[in-house]
Amino acid sequence: MTGFILSKAVRAFAVLFSTALFVFVVLRFSGDPAERMLGEFATPEAQAAFRTLWGLDKSIPEQFLIYLQHAIQGDFGKSFADGRDVFDIITQSIPKTLTVSVSAFIIAILLGIPAGIVAAIRRDSAIDRLVMATAVLGHSIPMFLVGLIFIFIFAVWLRVLPSSGSSTWRHAILPIATFALYNAASISRFARATLIEVLEQPYIAAARGDGIPPSEIILRHALPNAAIPLVTMLGILATSLLGGTVLVETVFAWTGIGAQFVRAVGQGDLNVVQAMILVFTVFVVMINLTVEILYAFLNPKIRSQQ
Amino acid sequence: MPRLLTVQDLVVEVPGRNIKILNGVSFSLDAGQTLGLVGESGCGKSMTCYAIGNMLPRGLGQAGGSISFGSGESGSERPTIAMIFQDPTSSLNPVHTIGYYLETALYRHQRLRGNDARLEAMRLLERVGIDNAKSRLGAYPHQFSGGMNQRVMIAHALAAKPQLLIADEPTTALDVTMQAQILYLLEELKAETGMALMIVSHDLGVIARLADKAAVMYCGKIVETAPVEQIIQNPSHPYARALINCMPSIDPADHQPPVPIPGSVPLLDDLPQGCYYNPRCPRAAGECFKRFPPLAPVAQAHNVACYHPVAA
Ligand SMILES: Nc1ncnc2c1ncn2[C@@H]1O[C@H](COP(=O)(O)OP(=O)(O)O)[C@@H](O)[C@H]1O
Ligand SMILES: [Mg+2]
Repeated sequence: MTGFILSKAVRAFAVLFSTALFVFVVLRFSGDPAERMLGEFATPEAQAAFRTLWGLDKSIPEQFLIYLQHAIQGDFGKSFADGRDVFDIITQSIPKTLTVSVSAFIIAILLGIPAGIVAAIRRDSAIDRLVMATAVLGHSIPMFLVGLIFIFIFAVWLRVLPSSGSSTWRHAILPIATFALYNAASISRFARATLIEVLEQPYIAAARGDGIPPSEIILRHALPNAAIPLVTMLGILATSLLGGTVLVETVFAWTGIGAQFVRAVGQGDLNVVQAMILVFTVFVVMINLTVEILYAFLNPKIRSQQ
Repeated sequence: MPRLLTVQDLVVEVPGRNIKILNGVSFSLDAGQTLGLVGESGCGKSMTCYAIGNMLPRGLGQAGGSISFGSGESGSERPTIAMIFQDPTSSLNPVHTIGYYLETALYRHQRLRGNDARLEAMRLLERVGIDNAKSRLGAYPHQFSGGMNQRVMIAHALAAKPQLLIADEPTTALDVTMQAQILYLLEELKAETGMALMIVSHDLGVIARLADKAAVMYCGKIVETAPVEQIIQNPSHPYARALINCMPSIDPADHQPPVPIPGSVPLLDDLPQGCYYNPRCPRAAGECFKRFPPLAPVAQAHNVACYHPVAA
């Protein structure tokens, strides 16, 4: 197990370093930040001064080494736009985003998995059709549209919730509901399909023939098998918990990391973009590691290989 | 011997489509007896087993006939039935250990738990020829070969102390030496426990070796039942005869090459009028093209569904 974790850690580090390098180089080749920040009518002198100020006049390898040196000490530079510490921007916006996305994710799991299980067990019944119709709807309407519909119903029509902003917990309700609905829709569909596939396996038929009661077949025989692909799927969904809320944040003017990222990319705010991509990468790597450990725990075939 | 199981005109349909997977299956089995069920692939052998074992696939239902137990009077109890299958590895739950599988069965059928269940599970594993039983309890099905998993399934069946063991092609997926070992094990266990056995195979050699009586199936119907020697030496139904002639002989003195059956099994949604075997049958004439022949006795305990049976 120690070897397992060690090898994963080495791999995680390699992923992180190569992402950092790649993003660094690509960002510096994709347009001139001096021009984007100062506008196309800035004088060449002003642009040159901007480049010197941010060290953009040095060679790329040199810039990268300097960046690494600082990054290791936790200094990710300042925003080109307003001179704020990138570290501060990120640590302020991440909790905002996670408040919405993690709450929504938990709600989506609590709704989606039971709904999918019930739909699979009562396959082709009225309740199955209801769950699936809701899921298809929730999945196929674009998230921003759902957000706008919610705003219309709860903020404009019923006037019970604020439509935008991020100052109080009441502002979080609609973004959470929007993101939760979307995720619950995909989770319930996946859970249903996975469980149905498991229920058609010969070992389930054998268990039925053996007289094991239906509830025990579901709980002890089918669900532990369905959990294996389900965990993988939830892991993939979880990797979008930091970046995937961009649309929701935009609709509800929620100042999370997604909204900040969109702004920084638009303005060519390299230090902010660079650091955010690193944060996204760390997040994805951590989720994947968790999934792999859970997966090994749930699946005896993987476990016995280690 | 008392009657254990009577299957009468059993019909299993695919609802909504007029397809009868089993179309009037009748046979009976006495306590301690072994019935061999033979027939080409797709003729409904597994479905017959599933119907008796209460495990028809989703969407399929018993649409007619009856399966009765004991003397057949109301109040006769359902005997304990255990089953083993063609593909043992996929019939075992991949997330559970062999120990879990056996010990939960021992609790269900014999109320054994804890250490008692463990010891009995080990004893059963040893009985079916798995050594190192203690360490095997923690193993998963994917760590075992098909033959080992079939032994595990047999141990699991024994945990139920069954009056009837249904074995659906228990050796088809195994290599030859393993086949012989499993058959030998089944023979021994049958003698030891006195359970009845219903063994399905498309290999008449297996049937000849284990069974007391045999039933030949074709397109969801039983076309001949008889004591096993009778069927092997003196088959009456032209299909049974053809089936025996296409078996390779293991007797070196027998120089007759196997003869394949001409034509192919008709599709269930496109069955011929009359006897389903008539397109392939050299003896088909007249009535054969009008109605399916009823199963009728030609000798003591020997029934054939044919208008022109081969004479003894
Ligand atoms: N779930 C199902 N729905 C419809 N037809 C099925 C289903 N399962 C099996 N069948 C059909 O039932 C027939 C009998 O199958 P089976 O009993 O498995 O045959 P055997 O065991 O003799 O090879 C086959 O023709 C098969 O195609
Ligand atoms: Mg079969």
